[in-house]
Amino acid sequence: MIKVENLAKTYETKVRKGFFKSNKVQLEAVKNICMEIDKGKIIGLLGINGAGKTTTIKMLSTLLLPTAGSITVDGIDAIKNPMTVKKRINMVAGGERMIYWRLTGRENLWYYGQIYGIDDKILSKRIDELLNLVGITHKQDTPVENYSKGMKQRLQIARGLINNPDYIFMDEPTLGLDALIAKELRQHVKKIACEDGKGILLTSHYMAEIEELCDYVYILNKGEIIEKGTPKNLAMLGLKNKTVYLKVEKNSVAYEGIYNACRLTDNSVVVEHDNKEDQFIITSALDLKLTLSKFCMNNKVPIIKLYEEEPKLEDAIIRFAKEA
Amino acid sequence: MMIKFIKAMKAEMLKQHKVYFHNKIIYVSLFIWPLLSFISSYFSFKPFNINSSTVSYLNEKNLLIFILLGYICMSFFRSLVQSAWNFSFERLSGTLEYIYLSPVNRFAVILGNALSSLFESVWVMVVFSIGIFIMKHEYFNINIPAAIITFLLMIIMAIMWGMLLNALFLFSRDSSFLFTVLEEPMEIFSGVKVPTTIFPFWAKIISFIFPLTYALDAIRKVFLNGANLAEVKSSILCSIFIILLMFVIINLCLILGEKHAKKTGNMTLF
Repeated sequence: MIKVENLAKTYETKVRKGFFKSNKVQLEAVKNICMEIDKGKIIGLLGINGAGKTTTIKMLSTLLLPTAGSITVDGIDAIKNPMTVKKRINMVAGGERMIYWRLTGRENLWYYGQIYGIDDKILSKRIDELLNLVGITHKQDTPVENYSKGMKQRLQIARGLINNPDYIFMDEPTLGLDALIAKELRQHVKKIACEDGKGILLTSHYMAEIEELCDYVYILNKGEIIEKGTPKNLAMLGLKNKTVYLKVEKNSVAYEGIYNACRLTDNSVVVEHDNKEDQFIITSALDLKLTLSKFCMNNKVPIIKLYEEEPKLEDAIIRFAKEA
Repeated sequence: MMIKFIKAMKAEMLKQHKVYFHNKIIYVSLFIWPLLSFISSYFSFKPFNINSSTVSYLNEKNLLIFILLGYICMSFFRSLVQSAWNFSFERLSGTLEYIYLSPVNRFAVILGNALSSLFESVWVMVVFSIGIFIMKHEYFNINIPAAIITFLLMIIMAIMWGMLLNALFLFSRDSSFLFTVLEEPMEIFSGVKVPTTIFPFWAKIISFIFPLTYALDAIRKVFLNGANLAEVKSSILCSIFIILLMFVIINLCLILGEKHAKKTGNMTLF
């Protein structure tokens, strides 16, 4: 397990004040972060740009030294023993950089395998397995410059697994990919966690991705964790108003009837009639589904459909960020 | 430990070979430039009376060998300045971050890079020079044991020079100025074209900065004057001292650079 306690990072930057003068400014990028990443779990790290996600990932991956706090990877202090920890972790970043375009996919994996000091026989077998896992075996001897964006990203994932790490940090792994390839990659990520038992820390701006993949999510804002929980719970927490859709048989009830029934429960309810769909849209801070079904039953109004809109993680993130 | 060091070094050599020497035309270009410089230097000496030179190992007959020796040695050093410049792109492309993410020995990586470039870049020039040397062998006055030792020292010094530049280029965002500062001045002040003994005082001081100066002086004395090891002792000792000094600075740069990168979050020391 990766255990992070009170992690903080302050950068010192220079602000120019004329040709020769400059002032030093302290920038608190991350403060008091506590989190846990278990093997076999996918943990999401969310936040708007500049929230501190990449700084956190860089500290976890030993590329950046924290100003305060501790990181332990399976009980090993990552700050004191970075070289030992480096063998157990790896990172996958989104985009097309960070691979050698003139090398083939296989050569890229071979190079990274060599710098991890993997035995040649094991490495050759692992490269075969990884190429197969990400589905680019047929292109293994083609230079990466001839790969599509999706294939490059798949190679990045294979590269991230080359040292068979226990934990992988994925920084926007589906950045810039089309929906189909992104879906395929998500399946690979799921497989890596569920079947291979690797712990994954994932950052993404695609909320659907987080909702689909993550077991637990931390929301960062201005370097601090402002909320944490399962994606479903967070979405519910972030929901200010619930929206209920009610469709009844034509002309079986008047707008006023619905509005008055709802007002008895929530004084600030908003009821609209969607002419296109011929349905009522009821927005309220309270759950009005029961009130509505009781009203329809008592007034013998035949319900065609009555459902509540699913809460969205994206709305929750925006709300949390605004409130913070 | 040693096996992992060699594996990393070998992998780096192969990677650099495939990334930068992917096209055979590159070898031609790496040969053409030193060759043109060599020809231009040789013919610029022609109008002058070389025999009246105060330099003991330079006369009309061995002028060609004198200049060619300068350009072979220069090729070794120049190739490493270019390799370091190429390597700085690793920082820009983000691959350096992945190298730092791994537990690889950083010294092995830059050594691999330097070695790859050293042999890749100069072999055509060396083959050409050997051809010339065979044709003009009568003008040589070689002390073979001293020649082997001085040539090996020159290669080691070139590798260390390359590694030092690699280490500097690796961490410097604005390192391209080093390319300008080190490439041409090295050719002028190290005595590739003109022996440093005839330099004015100020130019002699500049020439001391470049390790190539010491290597070249020893090599010319050994190849053209038949000097033995005792006669080039001071140059050899200077070379060994410089190699050790560069070794210390390289390691210091690597440690400081990574420490700085970990503190600031960017791979830019200067």
